[in-house]
Amino acid sequence: MARSDATVAVALPRPLLSRRARELATGYLYLVPVAVCLGGTIVFPILKAMHMSLYNHVLFKPQEYGFVGLGNYARLLRDETFWLTLWNSFVWVFGSVALQFVGGFAAALLLHQSFRGRAFVRTVTLLPWIVPGVVVALVWEWLYQPNYGVINDVLLRLGWLRDRVAWLSDPGLAMPAVIATNVWRGVPFFAIMLLAGLQAIHDDLYEAARVDGASVTERFRHITLPLLRPIIIVATATRVIWTFNYADLIFVMTSGGPANATQITSTYTLVTAYTNLDFGYAATLSVVLLVIMLVFTVLYLRVTRGIESAT
Amino acid sequence: MDDRWILSRRQLLKTMAASGALAAADLAWWEEPLVRPRRAWGAAPVRFQFSVPEPKRTALVESLAQRFNQSQTDFEVKVEFVPQAQARQKLIAGIAANNPPDCCQVWDNWVGEFEGMGAVEDLTSRVRDWKYYKDVTPIAWQTVTLKGKILSFPWVVTNDGVYWRTDRAAEYGIKPPQDDWTWDEFMATARAFTKPEKNQYGFGMRGQGTWAVLYATEFMYAGGAQVLRDGKVAINSKEAAEGLDWYLDLFRKHRVCPPSVPTDGWRGIVEGFGRGITNMYIHNSGSSEEQKDFVGAKSFATVPLPLGPGRKRVSFYFSETLTGFKNAKNREGAWRFMSWCMDDEPKFMYCKTLGLLPSRKSLADRPEFTKDPAYQGFIKSFPFSIVSPYLAYAGWGGKLDSEGVPLFQQALVGKLTAKEFLEKFAEVLAKNMA
Amino acid sequence: MSRRRGDAAERILGGPVLWAGLVALTLFALGPFVWVFLTSLKTRGELYATPLRYLPATVTLANYVDAWTSRLTPFSRFFANSLWVSSVTMVATTCVSILAGYALARFRFAGRNALLLIFLATQMFPAVLLIAPLLSQWYALGLIDTYQALIYSNFSFTVPFTVWMLVGYFDAIPRDLEESALIDGCGRFGALCRVVLPLAAPGIAATAIFAFVTSWSELLFAITFTTQTEMRTLSAGLLFMVGQYEIQWGQLSAGVIISTVPVAILFTYLQRHLIHGLSAGALKG
Repeated sequence: MARSDATVAVALPRPLLSRRARELATGYLYLVPVAVCLGGTIVFPILKAMHMSLYNHVLFKPQEYGFVGLGNYARLLRDETFWLTLWNSFVWVFGSVALQFVGGFAAALLLHQSFRGRAFVRTVTLLPWIVPGVVVALVWEWLYQPNYGVINDVLLRLGWLRDRVAWLSDPGLAMPAVIATNVWRGVPFFAIMLLAGLQAIHDDLYEAARVDGASVTERFRHITLPLLRPIIIVATATRVIWTFNYADLIFVMTSGGPANATQITSTYTLVTAYTNLDFGYAATLSVVLLVIMLVFTVLYLRVTRGIESAT
Repeated sequence: MDDRWILSRRQLLKTMAASGALAAADLAWWEEPLVRPRRAWGAAPVRFQFSVPEPKRTALVESLAQRFNQSQTDFEVKVEFVPQAQARQKLIAGIAANNPPDCCQVWDNWVGEFEGMGAVEDLTSRVRDWKYYKDVTPIAWQTVTLKGKILSFPWVVTNDGVYWRTDRAAEYGIKPPQDDWTWDEFMATARAFTKPEKNQYGFGMRGQGTWAVLYATEFMYAGGAQVLRDGKVAINSKEAAEGLDWYLDLFRKHRVCPPSVPTDGWRGIVEGFGRGITNMYIHNSGSSEEQKDFVGAKSFATVPLPLGPGRKRVSFYFSETLTGFKNAKNREGAWRFMSWCMDDEPKFMYCKTLGLLPSRKSLADRPEFTKDPAYQGFIKSFPFSIVSPYLAYAGWGGKLDSEGVPLFQQALVGKLTAKEFLEKFAEVLAKNMA
Repeated sequence: MSRRRGDAAERILGGPVLWAGLVALTLFALGPFVWVFLTSLKTRGELYATPLRYLPATVTLANYVDAWTSRLTPFSRFFANSLWVSSVTMVATTCVSILAGYALARFRFAGRNALLLIFLATQMFPAVLLIAPLLSQWYALGLIDTYQALIYSNFSFTVPFTVWMLVGYFDAIPRDLEESALIDGCGRFGALCRVVLPLAAPGIAATAIFAFVTSWSELLFAITFTTQTEMRTLSAGLLFMVGQYEIQWGQLSAGVIISTVPVAILFTYLQRHLIHGLSAGALKG
């Protein structure tokens, strides 16, 4: 008698968790490391800062410590220096990022071409970005030095200046000077981001357009720009946020001076916390900065998404 | 671990020799037989925070610490060097986190602030039994006394005077400043010293840092003003505004100051004079050794501040203190180290090397100080020196830095008039009288 | 992308404009470094000579010797510290972010969008106020003057950014490839390692480099959480070197050159991968 080869249906043991549940568990598991990292280093401090902003917490006046509710926020609204720093922050951020973007785009277009020594030029272009901020600040402080700095010397020799200018000591010139330094430092960021974007665009698109008779500028406007839009948006948003919050250049070069000419909100927060020892108010400033950035990002994303859906 | 000690001593000597900080003769105190320190186990090391690290100071303070560690075997002193710009921050952060150093070297105007945080060790009772209590000049004790409590040791003291270039005065045919020179003579000298075609300026005014306001205040006092009168803030008086206008006009109108003034802190004015950009500047004796390096001991001298209208003048006296903290891990060790630093040899070495004056009379009377021309301006100013009026309230120390100086800078660059600055400044002071 | 004969505009752009542009770009980026290099070769007297000397009359290497051997500013040590902290930050951040990015890209669960928004928002918080709470945390844990304090603190700005970028990269990879791997029997983790990572490798490399560069440059945490000279990173050490009565520009310049040249050499090789990696996710944005 032939043995039957037919398979017999056997009941499989049911796993404890359904596939869906196991998936969810894995997902959450993968999120645990990042939760621990950020929980300890950001979330907890942010919550603590929000909590601190509701208190009068001046370090050398422990007897006045107490809950003031929104008192710090009211004080912020009346604080002239705060509004000045807000204005300075906008000038600093938008001045820097706009010029960085233009410079970076030009650089990206140049680096996108093929020529001998491209690796060298690309590395050289990256240098201002990979060097620590302190180095950038110190190098440019040396360049701006009124008596031994090369900038004054060159301008004097060219005859564009009659007297030596103290770039970082003049309240009208200090902000443009630090913005110039920030632009030097930030151009590489945009250059590589945009270069990456340019390299991802297929040549065939340009070929097809050329065959159709499109000129260089037309190809640029109708192919390059639209395809680069996502990168431009991400890069610009990131850079704006970063520039708003990180003040190491200003901290090292001018400490917010002279006369608050280069004082931006994040350096003001630092001063409030560590020179005035007013941690409650510093926390308030930080929370406000955070809110401003959130509003900016939401608006920015909405506007750019609106443009995208319109085209 | 002991190898590290030997190695670091060699490195230290190399650094000292390389920086030329200590003349061969001064090394004599170090040549005493070095007994390898036996490390004590179990006792917490004393952390001593020291700010203002120049190569000279680092070498010196390290050698002080090592000498002390040699002299006793109960515990070890470890020096933590911090750039002055961050020293106050570090201390505050340490105090707030309940982990301050055991002792530190700080200026007297910071001590009040730390005392307000309840962090400073009260030395009053111990100090009165200390052997050199009477040797320290009373005014030095005054700088570290708050509400009747003695909070620190005044390690070195100094006041303000004017540095001037003797060689250039001779070259330009300028009459040397006399000890009792007036504001007008000061202005004339500054003008004569200003040669824009050579990139030279008469007076290196200070625009940054606490003392920017203090120097201006000294001029205001010379004009008859006062910070406090009858317990009320009086810095916004008419005399103060006139005095301040005169002082600021040196930069604003008469242009006898270099354009970098608004951001010139210590470094700016010391380097400016040292490199020959300015020919006069106001400072304490602490930069005299630097200037001996920069321009040479024969090229400069010091003279008291000029007399204002009414033949008045004042020089602010202040001290660099040794302060201990309440929450320190080894308070006894801190006391022993601090009092040791006030002993003859250590204090003399520290003062002489750095050009500062000892707070103890017996040491200050030594010829090394009284006969040196670089100190003349300061020694002659002692009779009319007073403790800085801004030490009166603990809350004022930080406010000078955070609000006084930015306001002053605004006045310098013309955004505020002298009167407006004084009004706002008076407000800040009045609000923080605690 | 090769140049071809096209219209006049193309020829001008491709020829003189390109070369002029490249020269300008190189001068722009390299100029300040050249000046710093010249400064590092000058003696102290020459640095402050009036009129300003451009080329050193006597070339001296004393500044380099001082910078390298100085006990107060041991550049070799600063460099090593920075290298270690940045490398560990980079590796740890990448690992953590890969897991998190994968989870956020692949699994649909409640609160996913909120989480993404949180990652964006945490990038916006100014580091200045993280310092006070973090300082007391590290003191409590006894982590002052350790590499760990700096590494953990660096997570606060590297992790959100890398997670955000990696979610984008992982989204771009079609699911079918993983599905087939899963059907073949490897678990989620296997699918991640065998299928997704190789495909996303350029993107991961790019974000890793970003993490490295930003923590290399970090200043505030480095100043606050280290007290001993030997534990300082490059940024903190350089700032520390700025003296009270004078800035030793000669030594500082030497230090800048010492710390920049190795990184520059490294990036000659890395720049290709960086750009390649970024462009892999470029069109997705």
